[in-house]
Formats: sequence, C-alpha cells, structure tokens
Amino acid sequence: MIIPVRCFTCGKVVADKYDQFKREIRQGEDPATVLDNLGLNRYCCRRMLLAHIDIIDSFMAFATIPQTEGT
Amino acid sequence: MEITIIRKQENIIHFLAEGLDVAFANALRRTMLTRLPAMAIDEVLVLENTSVMYDEMLAHRMGLIPLVTDLESYNLPEECDCEGKGCSLCQCTLTLEKQAGDEEEMVYSRDLSSQDPKIVPALGEIPLVKLAPKQRLIFEAYARLGKGVENAKFQPVSTVSYKYVPIIEVNKDKCNQCGDCVKVCPKNILLVEGDTIATQNTLDCSLCEACVEVCEPGAITIDSKKNSFLFKVESTGALTPEVIVEKSAEIFKERIRLALDYANSI
Ligand code: SF4
Ligand code: SF4
Ligand SMILES: [Zn+2]
Ligand SMILES: [Zn+2]
Repeated sequence: MIIPVRCFTCGKVVADKYDQFKREIRQGEDPATVLDNLGLNRYCCRRMLLAHIDIIDSFMAFATIPQTEGT
Repeated sequence: MEITIIRKQENIIHFLAEGLDVAFANALRRTMLTRLPAMAIDEVLVLENTSVMYDEMLAHRMGLIPLVTDLESYNLPEECDCEGKGCSLCQCTLTLEKQAGDEEEMVYSRDLSSQDPKIVPALGEIPLVKLAPKQRLIFEAYARLGKGVENAKFQPVSTVSYKYVPIIEVNKDKCNQCGDCVKVCPKNILLVEGDTIATQNTLDCSLCEACVEVCEPGAITIDSKKNSFLFKVESTGALTPEVIVEKSAEIFKERIRLALDYANSI
C-alpha cells in the first residue's frame, strides 16, 4: 500500500529513503548507485525499495471525503 | 577483552574485539539485540481517522518509528512504581493532528508532537500515510520502554554482526602472477604489485575463499585469527552506537553475575 517503515528482514528504516529513491530513479539514475548512496548495502533492504509498488494513490481515488458541518 | 574502534559513522560503529570466544561474542550480540531497552510507541488511541489506511495498519507503522531514547529518565514499565499501569516515569505521550487541505498531503513522522522534547522520532522523514483532500487524522500515541525479546520494534539496533578477522597469505614461491585471484575477488582485496600479489583493506575480506579456489598453484591461504572478532553495530537512531555497546556490556555482565549466583546457590 505504502512503503513499509522498516526492512522486513533486518529492521533498518527504509521508508524515509523512498522519496529520494523514486526521485532519482525518475531522473534516470542507476538504481544500484542510488541504493549505495542511500546506505542500503544489504540485499534485504535493497529489495524493499526495488520491489515496492505504491498503491495508496489508487486507493485514494475511492476515498470518501468526510462530511464537514454545514455542508 | 580489548576493544579497538575501527570506523565510526553517525549510526554505525565497526570495532575489533580481541580475547573472547564465539560464545561470548554471540552473547554480546544477542544482548544488544534483545536485552537493551529502547522507546517505541506501544499503544495508539485513534480519535479520528478518515484516511484510506486502517487504524491497525497506521498503529503498526507508528510502532516501527524509532524514537530517540533517554534511558536515564524512563523506567521499564515492569520496574516502575506504578506497577506497569503507566505514569509519567514510564510513558510518554505523542500526539498527531493533521487535516489535508484541498491538495493531498503526506503525513510524516516529524508531524508527531511529543510531550517530552527528548523523546522524538529519530527520523523525521518517515511517511506514515497519505491523506486525500479534506481527510483527517487525530490520534494519541503512548510510547514506553521495552526490550527486543518482547517485540522487535524495541530493538535499538537494526543489525549487529560479527565476523572473523581475515588473514590473507600469498606464498611468493608458488605464485606465478597469473592474476586470476585479483579478478575473482569480490571485495578487491588483492592487487598485482610488481612481481608479487599485494593485499589492501584486508579487514573487508569476506572469507569467501574464491581466490583460493581459482589459484591453481595453491599459493593463497585464507585463515582467521583466533579469538578476535570484527563487530558491526548499526543503530536505528534510538540510541547512539557507543551507548548501545556500553549499556549492553553492563547488562551482559549483570546477567552473568545472576547466572553465577544461581549456579553457586545450587
Ligand atoms: S577470501 Fe574472498 S574476499 Fe577474501 S581475498 Fe579471497 S576472494 Fe577476496
Ligand atoms: S591466482 Fe594464485 S598464482 Fe595466480 S596471481 Fe593469484 S596467488 Fe598468484
Ligand atoms: Zn534489511
Ligand atoms: Zn510508571
């Protein structure tokens, strides 16, 4: 749904690195170098970002907007 | 036991420990993983959540945020005077209130406001949930100290590992300078230097022995030093690596003392 906070295997926080990862990949950088620069050296952490698909935006297309008073 | 610090980065420390056996090294490692207390959010009171994420999932994500821990001013709930009911000496309240405007908005861990200015998320950039326009999130979270034995979210370290200290030896008489070992080494330890094979950054050697396998004359031997270990301690940000090693050593010593007392009493 959204990037997991930590690596499933080792417990390193990976969520805070996802935005930068996505941005740099979009600019055409090599994923391997980006991951190295982010300090994700173990393959357990690397797959967390590489294999992630963000689907929260698709969920949000069906979001119900809460009723506010006076509407 | 002797400790030499090899490299120190912000959240990672590499050190060499000498004069201990595997059992001791592993006990130290496991103490760091499971016995050293750290703060984490343990209970979440959701007052309003109109986001697309379930309350449970959100609470789970909150629990995984590493919080900067102050071991001196907080008690473990089971050791606290309140007997685990929760008081200001063993609990810290964090609150979050956010409503998206007309644009969608990401909620980050830095949006949590803490009752105690010392207990704050170690990393502020962790995305928690994305809010669609007008969606709202209000909740109260209670953080407490806990240990890794109970739940991995309390672990102050993401990894603690140790390996043997490598000793790489090249027998000059047998070596024919074919250079095969230089090409095969994944860590770039070996290099041709004049008419011999030299080594660099030997501590990075992973002891894979790929070089031994490829060397036809059998000139390379990889060995490991007895009773020495290279440790790598990687903190989540809850405690500094120095504090982690220091405190774990104390806890470990205390546990050994308890075990000895028990053994002597039988
Ligand atoms: S054991 Fe592996 S890492 Fe070490 S020098 Fe040989 S090939 Fe390189
Ligand atoms: S593979 Fe063996 S023989 Fe060839 S350069 Fe390396 S040590 Fe020398
Ligand atoms: Zn990992
Ligand atoms: Zn208490």
